[in-house]
Amino acid sequence: MFKLKNVMVMLKTATKEYEADLPRKHKPDYWLMIDWIILLLIGLVLIYSISPALADTTGLSGSYYVGRQILAIALAAIAFIITAKVPLSLWRDWRKWLIIAAMLATLVAIVLPVNPNYPAHRWVRLSGFSFESVELVIFAFLIWFASFLAGRMLEGSISSFKKTVKPVIAVLLIIVGVVAVIQSDLGSTGVIVAMMGVMLFVAGLSTKKILTMGGLVVVLTIGAVIAFPYRMARLETFLHPTANCQSTGYQACQALIAVGSGGIAGAGLGGGAQAYGYLPESDNDSIFAIYAEKFGFIGSVILLAIFGNLFYRMGRIAGGAPDNFSRLVVLGVLVWMSVETLINIGAMIGLLPLKGITLPFISYGGTSVVFFAAALGLVYQISSYTSYVPIGDKDRLNRRAGFNDNNSHRRGIGGAYHSGLSDRS
Amino acid sequence: MLSFVGKKLSSPVGRIYLWSVLLTFTIVIFGLRLFYVQVIDYSHYKQAALNDQLKQYEIPATRGIIEAEDGSSDVPIVLNQRLYSLFADPPLIKNPNKVATQIANIIGGQATSYLTELKMKSTQYVVLANKISQAQSDKIVAMQDPGLGTQGQDYRVYPDGSLAAQVLGFVNNNGVGEYGVEQALNPILAGKPGMLKAITDINGVPLAASKENTQIAPTPGSNIVLTLNVGIQAQVEKILAKDYKSTKSQGLSAIVMDPYNGHIKAMANYPTYNPADYQAVSKQTTFQNAAIDNPIEPGSVMKTLTTSAALNSGAITANESFYDPAHWVIDGFNIHDIKQDGGPREQNIQSILALSLNTGAVWMLMQMGDKGQTVITGKGINTWHDYMVKHFLLGQPTGIEQGYEASGYVPPPNLNDPSINLRYANTAFGQGVSVTALQLVSALSSVINGGTYYQPTLIDKIITPNGKVEINKPKIKERNVVSPKIGPELIPLMEGVVKAYLHGGFSFMNFPSNYIVGGKTGTAQVAKPTGGYYANIYNGTYIGFVGGDRPQYMVVVYNIKPNITGYAGSFGGQPVFADIVHMLINEGYVTPKT
Repeated sequence: MFKLKNVMVMLKTATKEYEADLPRKHKPDYWLMIDWIILLLIGLVLIYSISPALADTTGLSGSYYVGRQILAIALAAIAFIITAKVPLSLWRDWRKWLIIAAMLATLVAIVLPVNPNYPAHRWVRLSGFSFESVELVIFAFLIWFASFLAGRMLEGSISSFKKTVKPVIAVLLIIVGVVAVIQSDLGSTGVIVAMMGVMLFVAGLSTKKILTMGGLVVVLTIGAVIAFPYRMARLETFLHPTANCQSTGYQACQALIAVGSGGIAGAGLGGGAQAYGYLPESDNDSIFAIYAEKFGFIGSVILLAIFGNLFYRMGRIAGGAPDNFSRLVVLGVLVWMSVETLINIGAMIGLLPLKGITLPFISYGGTSVVFFAAALGLVYQISSYTSYVPIGDKDRLNRRAGFNDNNSHRRGIGGAYHSGLSDRS
Repeated sequence: MLSFVGKKLSSPVGRIYLWSVLLTFTIVIFGLRLFYVQVIDYSHYKQAALNDQLKQYEIPATRGIIEAEDGSSDVPIVLNQRLYSLFADPPLIKNPNKVATQIANIIGGQATSYLTELKMKSTQYVVLANKISQAQSDKIVAMQDPGLGTQGQDYRVYPDGSLAAQVLGFVNNNGVGEYGVEQALNPILAGKPGMLKAITDINGVPLAASKENTQIAPTPGSNIVLTLNVGIQAQVEKILAKDYKSTKSQGLSAIVMDPYNGHIKAMANYPTYNPADYQAVSKQTTFQNAAIDNPIEPGSVMKTLTTSAALNSGAITANESFYDPAHWVIDGFNIHDIKQDGGPREQNIQSILALSLNTGAVWMLMQMGDKGQTVITGKGINTWHDYMVKHFLLGQPTGIEQGYEASGYVPPPNLNDPSINLRYANTAFGQGVSVTALQLVSALSSVINGGTYYQPTLIDKIITPNGKVEINKPKIKERNVVSPKIGPELIPLMEGVVKAYLHGGFSFMNFPSNYIVGGKTGTAQVAKPTGGYYANIYNGTYIGFVGGDRPQYMVVVYNIKPNITGYAGSFGGQPVFADIVHMLINEGYVTPKT
């Protein structure tokens, strides 16, 4: 029988074991939570303000959307607490199960499509709830890949073709085959590939090998673009935005109109009409444009600053992470969030082609909100174990950077704030 | 910073910072791009947004109502009523079965028929019902179903049914008047629509309160009071309906007019229609006001005008006699009287009218050339043409406030035409010339009233939206139609015609002695479209007056192709005239002799 008490005891034991290996626990980075909550609230307020427009186009009541988003935020809070509390070591141990769960979810999405008429089979339905399988894939990939690379770093075989490069290419091909080809989700594939590339780079793979693999990715991307006419059209649209305003470029043009018509101060929360049917996906992929229309340049810069601060904090946590696994986890989460954010906003301001990717924490929709919360929970947990070194402090940073098997900073041997004795990198 | 990154590029932390620098750089680029799009290019995108979002709507103006005189007051005969159409956006209807039943409960009809329409998922707009009431519309709106909506529209309502239908005309679905007063005075009745400029959603539905929204209120149309007398109009219509049947007519028109100001007291045609249900009319001619838009060869009623012209030009005197040869040969063609008139003998002006002598009418035309002559001369033709066109204003619209008024036709006095004499001989007794009932009655009114051609009118006054009353004063179109003494000469001649018919056995032409009644019949041959005239088809016409000390009402009757035995004028036109005059006298509309 499942007993909550047993689980709590188990958790406590696991945490103790885990902490025994780590620097002294300190206060977590509250900025993570502050930024996260602000972004969620911005998203909720935006959904609330455009809910009449959403109701207008779908016939559902406006409160439906706000209610769903509040529910998603509640689930996200639970996910955040779980990933923040369950020690990272357990997540690492569970990576096999996570991979199996991700594969199962993908299989279900492909074999039992929620909407058989829609060619991209991305959704899994779980009694009333549905989520996009790819989010679970990314989460599982993050844990597995961080663990894999940390292992190779420990062995010192990070640049080995046989031990590192070959399996990575195999995984890359599987993910491209399933996510990009079968689920035709080039955006998410791009996110995974970016995570892969940056994590490999940080793990220390030689620049030459990274460039070789990058070449492979470029070839695959060109293939994917040529093989699917709509991607070609999106690219064409991106290159000549105004020429296709009435056809393929409609969304891109309307997004720019929304952003541009916001002006310096914006039309205000109740102002702006682009959400009323003009701009497609205004609650979702296009939500940044609606935000920019309502809050203008000032609001847009503030939002960029909030995201920037969140990324900065995560970069710092990655830099001060207690071991390579946690460093790579934080880094992976940072790449995941930042790439999605930048691809999404870039498309709205006409700097990147449209990709069909949500804006983290802000876009309407449970899957993205919940999985980003889970990812952020991991970072939040790790932020309690960092050996904080101010940026620019060369000496201390030099000592701290890149070790994995130096135990001198561990509990009982040295303090968390003055532990680095040798630099083996 | 870069040197730091360069140094540490081999360490994980260094590589993390390189990634952070890239990220920061990208965010800064995004910020610059946002500055360009939102600050520098703002007006371009703002304009593009307004081009899409700002739409103009017309706010319809309330159409003016139409009233008419009834006794001492004015009563409305055309009103407005706001009715609603009910439409649905089927994909938004979640429970079509329930909604269909609710609709059927509110507006009636079969739930199943609404259900079929509510299930049409391929369309976003389907009209479920038209002309539902305000109360029904309110109940539909109270259902608060996002898939249902109502749209208000003003409809014309006619408290008196088909009363004066062709004079009024109708208002089509676009709110534009067609035929009658509704067409002729559409700009005055319609008012000026207002305008709403509003930010809308993509389907054009205005969004509440936006800085860009502007509104210009509509100016309602003016109300119009017609000269028609509701009582006379209704009675005349009743008489036309009855006589249409009894004379087996193919179309019957009548006008009752005040000769001293041109006011039309009644103007009616049969068959008629109900303007509230104008879509049900299958024959377009039913919409036409034949009294003003169907000119015919009027026949012998024209002799009243020929006589007036001959008297006024000095060609004849009222009590003159002449020798009637019973036929004239003109341009090789025989013009003769009918046998009952008794062959060649001495006749006078009274008998020309009473016996309706065509030879007498031609003789008057001859006198208009050179007195004492028995040939038609160019001078006579020119004089008669001048009277028809410049005095009696034939061959041109009168300018009555009606849609589609006809001009009629007066043959040009082309003296090079080898048969011009025959043509003009015919016009002297009302053939070869086409005249509407209104043209005829307006022309003869001007003789009877002492020589003033008043603009015939249906408009008594116009009441503007702010309550200002604009009286439509009588307008004089022609001042010296004939000299003032011609009326008093013609009146007894026309009274003589009525008496002659009474003595000839037409007992219905017996009117109380304290009223004056005069008239003239017309049995008009009907031209074939291919040339020549039908042998047995005639139009029956009648022009006359009734009054006390002086003629008070002019009455004209056009009976198209009555199927009767006897002359169409005597048996088709005259009884209708008699019915109308009896009615006017009996109902007290005529002031008797003092």
